[in-house]
Amino acid sequence: MLEKIMVWDQGPTPRPRETGAALPLSVNQTQPISDSARATQLHLQFHVCVHRPSGASRSNAPGEAGQPWRAAGGAHGGPAAAASSCAREGPRGRAGAPRAGRDVLVLVSPPAPQVSVINTVDTSHEDMIHDAQMDYYGTRLATCSSDRSVKIFDVRNGGQILIADLRGHEGPVWQVAWAHPMYGNILASCSYDRKVIIWKEENGTWEKTYEYTGHDSSVNSVCWAPHDYGLILACGSSDGAISLLSYTGDGQWEVKKISNAHTIGCNAVSWAPAVVPGSLIEQPSGQKPNYIKRFASGGCDNLVKIWKEEDGQWKEEQKLEAHSDWVRDVAWAPSIGLPTSTIASCSQDGRVFIWTCDDASGNSWSPKLLHKFNDVVWHVSWSITANILAVSGGDNKVTLWKESVDGLWACISDVNKGQGGVSALPEGQQNEQ
Amino acid sequence: MKLKEVDRTAMQAWSPAQQHPIYLATGTSAQQLDATFSTSASLEIFELDLSDPSLNMKSCATFSSSHRYHKLIWGPHSMTSGERVSGVLIAGGENGNVILYDPDKIIAGDTEVIIAQKDKHTGPVRALDVNMFQTNLVASGANESEIYIWDLNNFAMPMTPGVKTQPLEDISSIAWNRQVQHILASASPSGRATVWDLRKNEPIIKVSDHNNRMHCSGLAWHPDVATQMVLASEDDRLPVIQMWDLRFASSPLRVLESHTRGILAIAWSMADSELLLSCGKDAKILCSSPNTGEVLYELPTNTQWCFDIQWCPRNPAVLSAASFDGRISIYSIMGGSTDSLRQKQVDQLSSSFGNLDPFGTGQPLPPLQLPQQTVPQSVVLPLKKPPKWIQRPVGASFSFGGKLVTFENAKLQQQPGVQQQEQQHHHVYVSQVVTEKEFLARSNQLQEAVQSEGFVSYCQKKIDTAQADFEKNVWAFLKVNFEEDSRVKYLELLGYRKDDLRKKVNCAWNVKDHKQETEDLGSAKKTFNISVSGDVDGLITQALLTGNFESAVDLCLHDNRMADAIILAISGGQELLSRTQEKYFAKMQSKITRLITAVVTKNWKEIVQSCDLRNWREALAAVLTYARPDEFAALCDLLGNRLESEGDSLLQTQACLCYICAGNVEKLVACWTKAQDGNNPLSLQDLIEKVVILRKAVQLSQTVDPNVVGALLAEKMSQYANLLAAQGSIAAALTFLPANTNQPNIVLLRDRLCRARGDIPVGQEALKAQYERQPKGQAGPVVEQMQGPQAPSQQYYQQGDNPPPPGFIMPGAVNPNMPPQQVTPSNYSMYSQAGTRPTYPQTYQATQQYSCGTGGPALYQPQQPIAVPASASYTNPAPNTTPPYLPSAPAHSLPSPLYPGQPQPSPTSLNPVCSFPLPLGASFQHGRPGPPATSVAYALPTGPTEQSYKDVLSLCFLSVLGPQNGWNDPPALNRAAKKKKVPSNFLPPVPITFPIMNPLADPQSQVQQPPAPAAPMGAPSFQPPHLPAGPAVLQGGYPTAPQPLGPCVGPPAASKPSTEGAPGAPIGNAIQHVQALPTEKITKKPIPEEHLVLKTTFEALIQRCLLSASDPQTKRKLDDANKRLEFLYDKLREQTLSPTIISGLHNIVKSIETRNYQEGLNIHTHIVSTSNFSETSAFMPVLKVVLTQANKLGV
Repeated sequence: MLEKIMVWDQGPTPRPRETGAALPLSVNQTQPISDSARATQLHLQFHVCVHRPSGASRSNAPGEAGQPWRAAGGAHGGPAAAASSCAREGPRGRAGAPRAGRDVLVLVSPPAPQVSVINTVDTSHEDMIHDAQMDYYGTRLATCSSDRSVKIFDVRNGGQILIADLRGHEGPVWQVAWAHPMYGNILASCSYDRKVIIWKEENGTWEKTYEYTGHDSSVNSVCWAPHDYGLILACGSSDGAISLLSYTGDGQWEVKKISNAHTIGCNAVSWAPAVVPGSLIEQPSGQKPNYIKRFASGGCDNLVKIWKEEDGQWKEEQKLEAHSDWVRDVAWAPSIGLPTSTIASCSQDGRVFIWTCDDASGNSWSPKLLHKFNDVVWHVSWSITANILAVSGGDNKVTLWKESVDGLWACISDVNKGQGGVSALPEGQQNEQ
Repeated sequence: MKLKEVDRTAMQAWSPAQQHPIYLATGTSAQQLDATFSTSASLEIFELDLSDPSLNMKSCATFSSSHRYHKLIWGPHSMTSGERVSGVLIAGGENGNVILYDPDKIIAGDTEVIIAQKDKHTGPVRALDVNMFQTNLVASGANESEIYIWDLNNFAMPMTPGVKTQPLEDISSIAWNRQVQHILASASPSGRATVWDLRKNEPIIKVSDHNNRMHCSGLAWHPDVATQMVLASEDDRLPVIQMWDLRFASSPLRVLESHTRGILAIAWSMADSELLLSCGKDAKILCSSPNTGEVLYELPTNTQWCFDIQWCPRNPAVLSAASFDGRISIYSIMGGSTDSLRQKQVDQLSSSFGNLDPFGTGQPLPPLQLPQQTVPQSVVLPLKKPPKWIQRPVGASFSFGGKLVTFENAKLQQQPGVQQQEQQHHHVYVSQVVTEKEFLARSNQLQEAVQSEGFVSYCQKKIDTAQADFEKNVWAFLKVNFEEDSRVKYLELLGYRKDDLRKKVNCAWNVKDHKQETEDLGSAKKTFNISVSGDVDGLITQALLTGNFESAVDLCLHDNRMADAIILAISGGQELLSRTQEKYFAKMQSKITRLITAVVTKNWKEIVQSCDLRNWREALAAVLTYARPDEFAALCDLLGNRLESEGDSLLQTQACLCYICAGNVEKLVACWTKAQDGNNPLSLQDLIEKVVILRKAVQLSQTVDPNVVGALLAEKMSQYANLLAAQGSIAAALTFLPANTNQPNIVLLRDRLCRARGDIPVGQEALKAQYERQPKGQAGPVVEQMQGPQAPSQQYYQQGDNPPPPGFIMPGAVNPNMPPQQVTPSNYSMYSQAGTRPTYPQTYQATQQYSCGTGGPALYQPQQPIAVPASASYTNPAPNTTPPYLPSAPAHSLPSPLYPGQPQPSPTSLNPVCSFPLPLGASFQHGRPGPPATSVAYALPTGPTEQSYKDVLSLCFLSVLGPQNGWNDPPALNRAAKKKKVPSNFLPPVPITFPIMNPLADPQSQVQQPPAPAAPMGAPSFQPPHLPAGPAVLQGGYPTAPQPLGPCVGPPAASKPSTEGAPGAPIGNAIQHVQALPTEKITKKPIPEEHLVLKTTFEALIQRCLLSASDPQTKRKLDDANKRLEFLYDKLREQTLSPTIISGLHNIVKSIETRNYQEGLNIHTHIVSTSNFSETSAFMPVLKVVLTQANKLGV
């Protein structure tokens, strides 16, 4: 089903401009246009809300008190407040002070982020979607679902063309991951059926190219290593182990397994960017860089762990303890040329931590609480430029966070998707969010 | 997978969900002795440390107790207030004592750990539960029907939920409802469960199975559906878990029969209502879905029975099981390998060899490396169905170009009754995230300026808007680049205007010196004498006279006559002049000497190199004034370098101006970068604006290849392009990306941008080549010949959906989530089917006992206080057929008055009580066959009754705060109106003083049973309009239905009044309508002779089946069928069946005689499909059961 896409003008009174027909879509519009497609203005509301550093204090909210595992009923807020209220100017915030002219401060009002839906893809999955990832270029979308399928769409120019409907898993598919395009079009998926499948496009058709069945329980997370290392996939499973699959050529994959990485389950894996320690600028080519391979994992033992390859063996380098419940996701921030490493982790306990490490040896990580939510936080994702963190929680909310000049994390946008609903949080409530 | 184990024979309790870290408390079990037969007791607390891979639990504290325990629970009371940081541990002791411990103190090793203690109970306290909503409320149960509600804030005086149930019996388990805080359920080993409403302070419903084999060992409420609960039976003859819905409490919704021997404990996961744990005497621990009955997981256990099993509240995948072999094991249901278990054994083995150094060699044994990929049986599969808690419902991921991909899955509404939304849409949203609007706006301006070449105006705009002086300056400098006579303008910018200077000079003159000077000039025209004396003047004179300029100059210098010396030197030739200048400069120390030196010697480098940097401005001005074009840029650079390397950051920034003058883009970038916060997009924008403008300027003035881009600039530009891309401005990013560079980053970025824009790919090859150039790890050639798909791994997912077990489907009652509203339609249809009821013969046996099986009336009874005054006026004109019908509601007079404080319903609100049965009675009395009449009769009551019990339910379960008064007013009105229409030949229900709730089997209650007054005949009880038809039909449809649907089928009890001993023995289940009425013989009409064969044949067939049937279930079913065929015989007596049905039945008889049961079934199907359903629904399904059984047994 091809939906109409409505693009809302920017500004306080959004005026829909229908582009579905106007756009010279390069895609073949074979499907009928449906009225059910919705125009959606993502709610944006920005607050300069600095989290309370004492956020570790336990919330006394009764909702949280009793049953952290209970599915909360219904989403927050409702579709009541319509999209009529767009960006609300927040309080004048911190001044951006260019250090150049120390004599004068250039006052810059905090940027009100704009989040607008540019494409609504009806995946036609028959059950819950568990992951959606764009490829390296942002032109193809891979989705996976409890209906056991993996789908790939071409979403260029706001269109939606189903490229592949990949069947092969026998259970809900939890995650998908695109490999770097230098290796071709390769997608990995992992499932409750204990399998990891690597799919590959050959001559326009997607096919299973490798199936890994070495786990004893649900495989919850897959993540490709930076392309500089070769084609290496890390897989985290509920059996507590992490597998590393390396392509050795000729259709062969070498498997290394870290047993008991996280007791009763690993929920997430995320690779560190390929940075040669101590060098800010690219080393002269030709010289083999001395990469140190690292990745982070999070699991049901409430820990974030950092793994490092030494002499071809994976060793636990660090154990990061701060969460008091299952770590649901970890995300290692992309490198932006600074020596600091940054990891975001989120947990069942509603907390999101930002871990930073300044020294090259990677030994001293310090956590900073980004926020304590009232519900499970399922997923964290860094923007490509590593300056914005998207946090998605069990209350079906997506919030965007940014670190301010003084090192505090502020929620810059509160995206409430679906049904075009807008949750207008009263001022001051943000902190309790 | 087993995670941990502790060798204790103990009761166990997990710490509450709020507690971190997770603790497990164990208290010595009162019931079992461990291997040591020790009688000491202790309370221990262990920590579940999952980061420790070993099987050992970390012991945190041991408290030596004087009690042994029957039950242990751990509540979160006072945790949030901080008063008790670890909540309260509540123990049920042997001697009726309830003890509160402070686990925090136990952990701290305190000796005073008991918060409070009371021994109000009789006998051991076996049942305890904490209210989820008010964690200060704890319910306890012990012997003699004792139930107390304790308020932990005021522990002294417990409350009771109501009057003790009779007969007195032990309370084996107790549970608070998970949705409604004032509802409590208790269960006894006898198999009876009672649901209490604490607001009413009385039991609102009792649930028990119709056969008394149920031996209740466990009780648990549905985590999500308020009206559902499960009961587990310990009896080996009936090792089942029954799932009940109180809205349809006539029979279990579902029966789980996965265990082969009695069930000892159950636990329902709060995190996923699909997961119900049960452990039994068959030594199994099963995890099954109570909603489908499917076994999802069987824990690998040893052969020991477990007597207690608990989910960990905080970690939903973890559970603990206490077994009779004196061990508490912690398991994960997520599967995994049991390597760690073996490791423990290995370790234990090693340790028995003595601290890993068995032979005293001084060297510990090397750790035994277990080979990986071990025996497959060590692998424990996870749950068949993924538990709810690992299903990620929401996500948001960034992708290239500032796009945010988000998805969400609307939560399934867990409200009981709301059915799944029609069709969920599974959408993924791609959003553009723009966080740097200002950045983008400025970037656009810059692009416009570049395209339109309107640099001057752009710079001017910048100057105008710049707030900082420095910024103004920079832009002014940049602007100058595009203007004529740039050096002059630069000078002006530095504060040196030629015109200004002249004016200043003039001013300086004019004020005082000018006149003086002219006067001096005038006085010079006098005569002079040439003195050749010996003083300096004389010597100079002599030297001059001899033309010895050198000496003269020296003399002048010596005498400090500088001007004279210079003047003379000029005449003495170039060489002398230079020397003199040197000497002069060497001697003079005035402020401007060095400047003069430089000017005179044209040594600008000297100025730039050695000037005080605070005078950089002057130095720059000098350079601007004097420097040759070829050395200008270098000099500016030099000055810039000095400024940059200076410690003063203010000066560092000024270096940028020098670089701008020099047109040195690279240096500008480097310098700027040093001074700026590189991460801020706006500061990058600041830089890029300048760089772009400067580059344009340089292109204009100097003939430099514009495409040459330094490394640093390239990096900045690509950074900038990245930023633009991150804001979604991919096209803009491409324009700023330096062209013609072969820096790998930029090439890759360009490729990525092009593709992201949707362009035709540049070609994979080019990209790959680009990557190849980059140093790589061990990335081999990847693409070729990836190996084909391997054989799929072992499939453990069952294909397709399992149909629910037969017999579990009841229309409207099946789906626990189905709302009452949804149920209604099916109920209506059932009512219309029930319309066949009136065809009961009026001469029906008086002894018949119908148990009213519906939840409806039973539910509202408690609220119907006695008496039905309104109905008293109805008298029965047909005495011989009048059933002393005892509607259940009035029958419940006993308990009602016991609840004072209950709002007394108004008379109208009482009406429902009688109005419910009235229509029934009416049609019953009339015995009118034919759908029209009956449908009218039945359609009427359905509304109200349906309404009323729904109301009651909602009152009890939903409208927690709502007032109780008037809840049933609207229905009452309806009924009042209806009553008029009802034929008045029905004996009204008499006020009854008999508690209908009490089981018939209970002799006590029977004593209280009043004789049916005003009822000359027996009591052919009525069949309530609810339910019966549905189940009956379904039973037909599912021949193997294990539940014989007792309640719906009145006749069984009637035809076999003596089977269970007492008259009216509870054959039915759930609510036992006690209607053991004095029996009086009612003579039935004989069955017409021509149809007698039907009866004899069917009965004979059932007898044959009974003889050959082996298992008790089938026997029960057949017995049941036998009874229910009475419906058919009654109809035969009445001759109300249509000829087609009659003939069909005869055909079936024929086929039975030929033992061709299959044909009989075919005929049966034909009859059912062609006849009026309501006419046949009472007996045809039964008949099908019989035929199917006969076919199966081959009798």
